[in-house]
Amino acid sequence: MLAALRVLPFLVQLHMRATMEYRGAMILGWIAMAFSYASVYTAIALIVLRFENIGGWVWSEMALLLSFHLLGYSLGAAFSFVQFRQLEDIVRLGTFDTLMVKPISPWAYLAFSGFNIGYAGHITLALPLMTWALTQADVGWNPTLVLYLVGALVSSALITAAIITSIGASALVWVRSRHLYSIYFGFWELARYPLNIFPGIIQAIMVTVMPLAFMSYVPAAVLLDKEVPLLGPAAAPLALAAGPIATILAMLYWRWCIRNYQGAGG
Amino acid sequence: MSEIIVADGVTKRFRQPKRYSGLAGAIKGLISREFTEVRAVEDISFTIRAGEAVGYLGPNGAGKSTMIKMMTGILVPTGGALSVLGRTPHEERMVNAREIGVVFGQRSQLWWDLPVHDSFELHRRIYDVPEARYRENLAHLTRMLGMESYLDRAVRQLSLGQRMRAEMAMALLHDPRILFLDEPTIGLDVVAKDAVRKFLTEVNRERGVTIILTTHDLQDIEEICPRLIMVDDGKLLFDGELKRLRTALGARRRLKLDFATDPGPVSLTSARLVSDEGASKHFLIENEETSLVDVLAELGGGHGLKDVSLEEPDIEEVIRTFYQQRPALVPQ
Amino acid sequence: MYAAFAANAFQTRLAYRNQAWSSFFGQLIQVFARIAIWMAVYAGVASVDGITLADMITYAILATAVMGVWDHALLMRDLDVAIKTGDVAVFLLKPLHYPLYLFAAHCGNLAFNTLAVVLPVTLIIGVTYGIQPPASAMHGASFLGFWALSFAIYFLLAMTCGLLAFWLMTAHSLEWFLTGIMALFSGSILPLWFFPPALAAVAQYLPFAWVAYYPTAVYLGKLEPAETGLILAIGLGWAAVLAAGVGLLWSRARHRIVVQGG
Ligand SMILES: Nc1ncnc2c1ncn2[C@@H]1O[C@H](COP(=O)(O)OP(=O)(O)O)[C@@H](O)[C@H]1O
Ligand SMILES: [Mg+2]
Repeated sequence: MLAALRVLPFLVQLHMRATMEYRGAMILGWIAMAFSYASVYTAIALIVLRFENIGGWVWSEMALLLSFHLLGYSLGAAFSFVQFRQLEDIVRLGTFDTLMVKPISPWAYLAFSGFNIGYAGHITLALPLMTWALTQADVGWNPTLVLYLVGALVSSALITAAIITSIGASALVWVRSRHLYSIYFGFWELARYPLNIFPGIIQAIMVTVMPLAFMSYVPAAVLLDKEVPLLGPAAAPLALAAGPIATILAMLYWRWCIRNYQGAGG
Repeated sequence: MSEIIVADGVTKRFRQPKRYSGLAGAIKGLISREFTEVRAVEDISFTIRAGEAVGYLGPNGAGKSTMIKMMTGILVPTGGALSVLGRTPHEERMVNAREIGVVFGQRSQLWWDLPVHDSFELHRRIYDVPEARYRENLAHLTRMLGMESYLDRAVRQLSLGQRMRAEMAMALLHDPRILFLDEPTIGLDVVAKDAVRKFLTEVNRERGVTIILTTHDLQDIEEICPRLIMVDDGKLLFDGELKRLRTALGARRRLKLDFATDPGPVSLTSARLVSDEGASKHFLIENEETSLVDVLAELGGGHGLKDVSLEEPDIEEVIRTFYQQRPALVPQ
Repeated sequence: MYAAFAANAFQTRLAYRNQAWSSFFGQLIQVFARIAIWMAVYAGVASVDGITLADMITYAILATAVMGVWDHALLMRDLDVAIKTGDVAVFLLKPLHYPLYLFAAHCGNLAFNTLAVVLPVTLIIGVTYGIQPPASAMHGASFLGFWALSFAIYFLLAMTCGLLAFWLMTAHSLEWFLTGIMALFSGSILPLWFFPPALAAVAQYLPFAWVAYYPTAVYLGKLEPAETGLILAIGLGWAAVLAAGVGLLWSRARHRIVVQGG
């Protein structure tokens, strides 16, 4: 633990300094990504405004769902996405071998040495959107609900990091894993909409094997006091538990993949 | 001295999905689940004692890197038992990591965009090296390797030789007991190779660090490692002193006799004639015991002998013929 | 020669079977999502502005599954890698036109995507939810023309952004910008007929609309026949302008490589 405090912040610091060598590109990246998300949200807003609601969710409620989705995702992905999407290259180039001979968890090293400030643009978009949505939507605020909001966000970030880590970890055993992100992002896109508009089979997947319903829809529904299909009243606590559970499963899977690591090849 | 690495029948096999050729093959590949098995390391046993310097030699694909990866805990052996510093490497990878240093010739452990110093400082923190010890080691290594001029330059601006020196220094900052090097001289020019060899020899002799290095350059081993382990195709071919390799392989010495004038045919029992140019004749001495004195005694006087030269066989050549013949025997 | 590059790209894609399966599933889920949205908003409504749910399902299939496989990220990354590794200089030594080479390679990709992703996804969704036939044989034929134009315009847009990376040194940001613009202005999520009038007035003349909106609108017979000809002409005009732009950018970029060594 103490060792982690000595190493991990320094890793982040080194990474920041390395990135600062290319800061112009990074700032342009923030703007571009925020623009891109804003553009998709505009399209969704236009649909909702034109048809009044989508699955019973009006625009301000959709805005809460979308901002929750973006915030949870960017918090989790900052520690995982770029690093673990690259894992297959890291493996192929043999860099992973060099991590395996250090007395530090390769996961921690990767996550922190690539801690991505590239998500600043996402967060700059998500926070005002969420603030606006929370003032518009009809939320019966009380201290527990505030805590719930924070807890659910953490859980959302954990789900994201856990799934992204697991997909990346598959590269340790099967060499290639980047393609699996297409499937993840397919479901990730579904998580931008109310779960109740999807067929039962997709709902079931979204609360089990690909538990992305918990990263945005369930917490938003709980805050807005809407009924959640399949789960009912269990939804609220499950959304808090989903992150830690996903994290534990991801850790077990990561260990298994490390044990079955095949090396960089010839 | 104690045995710090024991390999007992270590084996590693890889599974690779089968590839098919052609368009039809590619379509078949979309659904096929067949594998081929690669035997990278086959039943290899050896022991290494503290303070040794061992060269692990073999052509490309012989299984050298795979063996290093198993000894450093990166890969789990498919069979056999391996112990490094009394531990099973893959089970206690992190504990072992503190006591070993690893250098990969073809991949850098330094941060590309940052000065060398920063990578060293990160290393210090990861290995929890006490500040004073770290400074002492850094000063010493910097002097030995002549790195003063570039410690605060970004790694991407360094030459390959400078980078390799920094890699080796980093691997030694935490006083490892064993230093593993996978092809440390690959791609370096002659001067840089020489610097690396001198440094490693010194590290081994003066600091007592056990060194295991893989290479396919025999000169690395001649200069650094008294002991040689030779592998090919995953199998152990030879394990012993380099000097003994010639004997073990039945290497032959070349004898050249120069005469003032052509003495006519000369035949000897201690040496076999291979070419006769009249005034100079070439022989091969097959028996390791035969000395030059024996030959000269047999030859006797009166031939007008002007000059004698006895050549040790070129070790590169010995090994080349050795690999070509691929004998099944393992001399020891 | 260029046909060989296309075939080569096609075969390369075949070699990555897992990737093929994943893009198929990813795309399938995405189309499901779009359809679920339209089914949700159309709940209890027969038609909005003369557009029925059945229209929108077909729209989602065509705009998302058929035109959605245009993958500008793939092209821009190819270009980015070529720039960063200096491979692009190697192409200058060969007797070929680099943009044309890329076009050929991406036609190979297109063929692969059509077989491995578009057809199966369209088939599965079509069987599940029903897909409408083209409004008429004429409309069907025009759709094919618009479809080819869509691919050309997408390619030229991606090429433009990719070449701009020579100067801006960040293909990554440009890729995100293009993704954002496409999401809204190509009509891939929301058809232009549902846009607020002011926005639609602008969007209908921008080249992005030819990537997803117009081909699908033509297929569904939502455009007047006379209008169709004009729109096709404007689209071709845009393609010509973009092609000229790419040509210009490429000659500048080539000059830059030759003079500065990349
Ligand atoms: N991860 C892997 N998957 C499949 N085959 C591998 C892998 N790693 C190594 N090999 C194969 O094992 C053999 C030995 O490789 P390696 O240990 O790298 O040889 P060397 O280092 O002596 O050149 C080679 O045939 C190589 O192709
Ligand atoms: Mg090797």
